[in-house]
Amino acid sequence: MTGRVWALAASVFLDALRRKVVWVVVLFAAVMAAAIPALPSYGFGVVEAVYREVALALTYLATMVLTLSLAANRIPAEIERRTVYGVLVRSVRRWEYLLGTWLGIFVTVGAAVFAFTVVDVVVGWLAYGELMFRLAEGTFAILLEAGVVAAFCVAVSSVIGPVVVVVSALAFVFLAHTRSQLLVPEDILWRLYPSLDALNIINPVAHGGGVSVGYIFSMLLVFVGWTGILLLVSTALFSRRDL
Amino acid sequence: METSSQTTVAEAASEDATAIRIEGARKTYASLGQPHRDAVREVTFQVRSGEVHGLLGPNGAGKTTTLKMLLGLVRPTSGVFEILGVPAGPAVRAKVGFLAEQPYFSPLLTAAQTLALHGRLSGMSRAAVGARVDELLSRVGLAGKGDVVLAKFSRGMLQRLGIATAIVHQPYVVVLDEPASGLDPVGQRDVRNLMLELRESGATVLLSSHQLSEVEAVCDRVTILDRGRVAAAGRIDELLNIAGQTSFRVSGDDDMLPEGVRERVVDVAFSGGTHMFSVADSDARRVFDALDDAGWRVLSVSPKRETLEDYFARLLDSSYEEVGE
Repeated sequence: MTGRVWALAASVFLDALRRKVVWVVVLFAAVMAAAIPALPSYGFGVVEAVYREVALALTYLATMVLTLSLAANRIPAEIERRTVYGVLVRSVRRWEYLLGTWLGIFVTVGAAVFAFTVVDVVVGWLAYGELMFRLAEGTFAILLEAGVVAAFCVAVSSVIGPVVVVVSALAFVFLAHTRSQLLVPEDILWRLYPSLDALNIINPVAHGGGVSVGYIFSMLLVFVGWTGILLLVSTALFSRRDL
Repeated sequence: METSSQTTVAEAASEDATAIRIEGARKTYASLGQPHRDAVREVTFQVRSGEVHGLLGPNGAGKTTTLKMLLGLVRPTSGVFEILGVPAGPAVRAKVGFLAEQPYFSPLLTAAQTLALHGRLSGMSRAAVGARVDELLSRVGLAGKGDVVLAKFSRGMLQRLGIATAIVHQPYVVVLDEPASGLDPVGQRDVRNLMLELRESGATVLLSSHQLSEVEAVCDRVTILDRGRVAAAGRIDELLNIAGQTSFRVSGDDDMLPEGVRERVVDVAFSGGTHMFSVADSDARRVFDALDDAGWRVLSVSPKRETLEDYFARLLDSSYEEVGE
């Protein structure tokens, strides 16, 4: 089982490495990160915080573009081109196919986020003489959110085309970060609201002292819970589909 | 777990002479506001171990839907699907190879990566796949192309790669869905050679095809589907031989058949100095003697047999007439 899932993930990764969109997004993000120090300067001690905030925002944007471009059309294209036939007529369960596809996308996005982090840290060091390793906490949270968004795309795209997937994924991300604007913790719906706010740590990373190890574990729990639920939903939907 | 399921398959293959069993297969498509449509209705047939079995039928007959149900791509409404004596699920599909009409591969992977992926998905170890890739690429005429991305492959090269992926894990059962469709003569020859090699190696082949000459040349038995039902099934010889008639191919100096023959022939054709005709079995000896007495040369005598094309057309015509009535 594990071998088949990893084989599928490896094929998705190798396929993604030959996609121009991946390299364009990575290069664009690197160039933009290098240009951040050219922004208007602020007072001593603030300029580094502004750099960290903009760098994380840019990394978030580039990661989401990459995730959507890889995940939204992966399964619809495989169904349309019928490459999925060659996979599913083997001893591959449908959930293995979905998990392997998601894992391949997640590993690809992970490699890109690692590259973004390296660029952010190097540019920060060159511009301000400070090695901002704390940025890695923020980019790790971004990677986890990208994993959840990829799982959402896999779930929706197992039954619907890529345009609807992108629109619904953007709506999902928007809704998942608006709980505190719509509700207060005393509301009954507060705990039921599908929120990804736990993964938004730009503020403490950019302007504070980062987050604790315990908080990072809680982020991992949110990630595993969301991703697990979404992949279960995608399996339920895809298993019933005639190809 | 893996070993246990493989053992079960191997035991099933050796003990049960039926490689594929489809019984009462039905697929009904339902759309909102539309009447239900039966794509396949009570289709039942078996494929014996080691035989090449043809699945024929006009467009829309239900061939592809039947194969898709067997291979788990379409959920059957009802019916029993067994491969090597066990329900046709993911475990037994490790012993099944599949070659589709179109080569469906990711264009951004190389030939070697594609072969490795399909081998790994069929349960082969990384080492086993690695050892087999070069050998298989050579066997299908793609030696030295392992590192080329498939976007640069021609249609024929993709089909050759399709053959390699179908047999990478040395399957017991191979399902071929219109494998030679759209191929040039060399590609068609390759596909035919594949089927003959598979038969020699003892593998079972289920071939869905429109190319009746190909089916007639390689298949032991056929099942003909029409509008979702089995219209005919059996050994090709039994289906095509016309009971009670014998065919002659003869040549002589005269354009007219000799006396004693002319009045007994059922149908006759003349081409290139050769007469071809058929007579009732009971007249065959007398006709042979008459030809011999007249100094004609008898080139061949055989039971009269239809071509598969003729049989197929006649079967479908009669089927449509029944519906018309």
